[in-house]
Amino acid sequence: MTTKSHSLKVGVSGVRGVIGESLTPQLAARFASAFGTYVGRGKVVVAQDARPSGPMIKNAVIAGLLATGCQPVDIGIAPIPSVLVFTKESQSAGGVAVTASHNPPEWNGLKFLGPRGLYLNPSQVEEFLDIYHQGEFSFVLADKYKKMTAEPDPLAPHLTRLLKALDVAMIRERKFKVVADCCNGAGAVLMPGFLEALGCRTVLINARPDGAFVRDSEPVPENLTEICRSVVEKKADVGFAQDADADRLAIIDERGGPLGEELTLALAMKHVLAKTPGPVVVNISTTRAVDDVALAAGVPVYRTKIGEIHVVEEVLQRNAVIGGEGNGGVIWPRVHACRDSFSAAGLILEMMAASGKTISELRDEIPFYVVLKDKIEATSEEAHRIVGGLRRRYAGENIDTLDGLKIQFADSSVHLRPSNTEPVIRIMAEAKTRDEAARLVASFREDILRPKS
Amino acid sequence: MKLLKIGISGVRGIVGETMTPELAIDFASAFGTFLDSERALIARDTRASGPMLQAAVSAALSSTGCEVLDLGVCPTPILQYLVRKLGAGGGVSITAGHNGAEWNALTFINREGTYLNEFQGADVLDLYHLEQFHKAPLEKVGRIHLLDDHQETYWEALARFLDLQAIRSAGFKVVIDPCNGAGAKFVDEFCRALGCELVAVNNEPTGFFPHDPEPRPRNAGEVSAIVKITGARAGFLLNSDVSRVSIVAEDGETLSEEYTLPLVAAYYLDKNPGPIITNPSASRMIEDVAARRQVRVIRTKVGQSHAIQSMLAEEAAMAGEGSGGVAVRGFQPAFDGFLTMGLILEMSAVREKTISGLVKDIPKYHIVKEKVYCPPFKVHSVVSEAKKLFRPEDLVLIDGIRAERIDGWVHIRASATEPMIRVVAENKSKEKAQEDVDRVLAFISQLI
Repeated sequence: MTTKSHSLKVGVSGVRGVIGESLTPQLAARFASAFGTYVGRGKVVVAQDARPSGPMIKNAVIAGLLATGCQPVDIGIAPIPSVLVFTKESQSAGGVAVTASHNPPEWNGLKFLGPRGLYLNPSQVEEFLDIYHQGEFSFVLADKYKKMTAEPDPLAPHLTRLLKALDVAMIRERKFKVVADCCNGAGAVLMPGFLEALGCRTVLINARPDGAFVRDSEPVPENLTEICRSVVEKKADVGFAQDADADRLAIIDERGGPLGEELTLALAMKHVLAKTPGPVVVNISTTRAVDDVALAAGVPVYRTKIGEIHVVEEVLQRNAVIGGEGNGGVIWPRVHACRDSFSAAGLILEMMAASGKTISELRDEIPFYVVLKDKIEATSEEAHRIVGGLRRRYAGENIDTLDGLKIQFADSSVHLRPSNTEPVIRIMAEAKTRDEAARLVASFREDILRPKS
Repeated sequence: MKLLKIGISGVRGIVGETMTPELAIDFASAFGTFLDSERALIARDTRASGPMLQAAVSAALSSTGCEVLDLGVCPTPILQYLVRKLGAGGGVSITAGHNGAEWNALTFINREGTYLNEFQGADVLDLYHLEQFHKAPLEKVGRIHLLDDHQETYWEALARFLDLQAIRSAGFKVVIDPCNGAGAKFVDEFCRALGCELVAVNNEPTGFFPHDPEPRPRNAGEVSAIVKITGARAGFLLNSDVSRVSIVAEDGETLSEEYTLPLVAAYYLDKNPGPIITNPSASRMIEDVAARRQVRVIRTKVGQSHAIQSMLAEEAAMAGEGSGGVAVRGFQPAFDGFLTMGLILEMSAVREKTISGLVKDIPKYHIVKEKVYCPPFKVHSVVSEAKKLFRPEDLVLIDGIRAERIDGWVHIRASATEPMIRVVAENKSKEKAQEDVDRVLAFISQLI
């Protein structure tokens, strides 16, 4: 069996491709022309993360939007939650974010935003992709062209909402010392100002928004050694590590130990539920710890398919007080219905201030699970076939097929799923002990690879 | 009928119909591939579609590994000058020159600062048709910079080339109409550099064209009126990228754009004798001017690229066309409206003559220019058919057909920029010129 993988991904979360291979300016302009046709000549926010290929792709996007009679509002490098909030508050018809989230540096991509500052939902994406594939774009004549505009302070709406939602006075009083690792990504343009507004003494690392990913962008413990060391050296109260587009957050405790990105949501959730009890929404893959936290607060947990838009739609549908994903993505609808590393960081600081406890003490109050993740390369077709086969093999177990295959055992679970963004099968195992989680990963890895050999 | 013209030096189309982001990206990618990762300058005129094409071209050049220096709104002759000055591999000028606001075009400039020659143009077209675009890997993707502080070197060079002292001490007042095109605001700098007092009309870089951006008498009414009111020494009309100029005399007379080349030649060739290049459509006035100075006139195909390549190959002193484009080899190999205006003013100052006085020294002809629509797929065969109208011994086949007689000539050719056949006749007698044109038009319309 070959494991040829494609360097272009078009799907519900937008387009991603490799610079110099699949993600060409032609492709970006075509998608932007389709998007301009779809939203119909309105104001469209254009933003980029800090990747060095950002200006090239962004120019192609602007050309496509101008040609279809849209008015692009170029807000430059901005964290993705700030882009979403700005799209909503500026009453734009939509937005295009030039970003490949946590993918490696040679990747870039486009994410498409609707008028309310939410990603296009799956049915909207289908309509939009139909326009793209039909290839008939509503190019306007020169007399219908609109002028491009720039926005002097595009981060202000997001920052204002954050500071309104948080108990700023209480946080300020503690004068927390915080180490922030922005991964040289888009978060670097807002994190210093945000922490300053919260009265923190801030130590910044990787805070040049130049897209030089000195570490792998995924905020998982193995990529966080520098910040862990720095938290200890600087005797900081907490460390925050963002991914490249600043929608996800990992936390480092005051002893330099990474909590594991699964705990970001569990902690933020516990704090929000203590203030404002209500339903919570998470995806099928998120740690069992959230069920324990919700149970203690007496609120229901709704689970969705993987993909931010699915969680966001359910959050809005259920009027949830908080939602998110186990990958460090916290959705606090009080700020905006999107994953937001700033909401997450603000909630954690507020939790520390309100409780007077250290971050490691707060961590210890959350039920402990070990989550281990792995991935196996497979084309999307192979991935679906393999997961489908395993689904039949484990039909007798307690399984959930909402997205891929999740098998619940008494004290543990395993989730297998073809990725939407990379040609891989993701494996996630969760158990009370590391040995047990490792055993689950190894055994399913073997299950997956067996037919390959 | 969708209008798109692909030529050796670029591509031109109607925005929203044929000129789309993807077409621009494909062409600019072909040009970027041709440049082989060298630095490229880009500039645009003020058309509403300019920023779209600027973004498309930047993205494309960057993706092929070229560093992009973006001059923003800037006349083409200044871009051409800066390509050489900054040692860039080439440039792209986003302008449709004299075409209406619904058009736009990409013109490709080589490292010598000239329009691409035939071989270079063929290279770029091959790359375009093959879609063999270089895709730079991430670390080679070209950076995109804005560059807005390099024009000064151009004004300095222009001031050095001209007899600045003569122009300054004459203390001229001039009226200039850049048609709200790329020349808008730049004409302020031009007059500052030359020490002239400027009365500007349509001098806002808005891209709103109050009349066709084509320098010729029918668009010159406003300039003519203001020249008379203000007592200015001269009036000038510019096209949208300042590659062409037409002149209004101090008495308000709107000179045909055909006068621009012979007027400049009648002065410049006295100081710098040498052959002069023009096309088969330009007025016989240039032959008279050249004969008096005992220099040759060489007629080449129509278009800036041909004129300039021929000027360089023949080591000619000048090149120009009847549409008001003039290049001087000693300054730069480009049709340059600023240099053209500067030489006219210098001529008027040095010779101490008014514009109408200078015009009197040039024999007068009557020229009639018409154009007729023809589907692009049959233009050349229709033009060729028109040979039947003339005696074979009168025909010169350089670009279309030119019939040369004692009293005048007729030139029939396919437009390089529009699906049109252009018919130009010149004669000592206005009636005979009109007669010639009418006869050709009647013949052609039977064939279409």
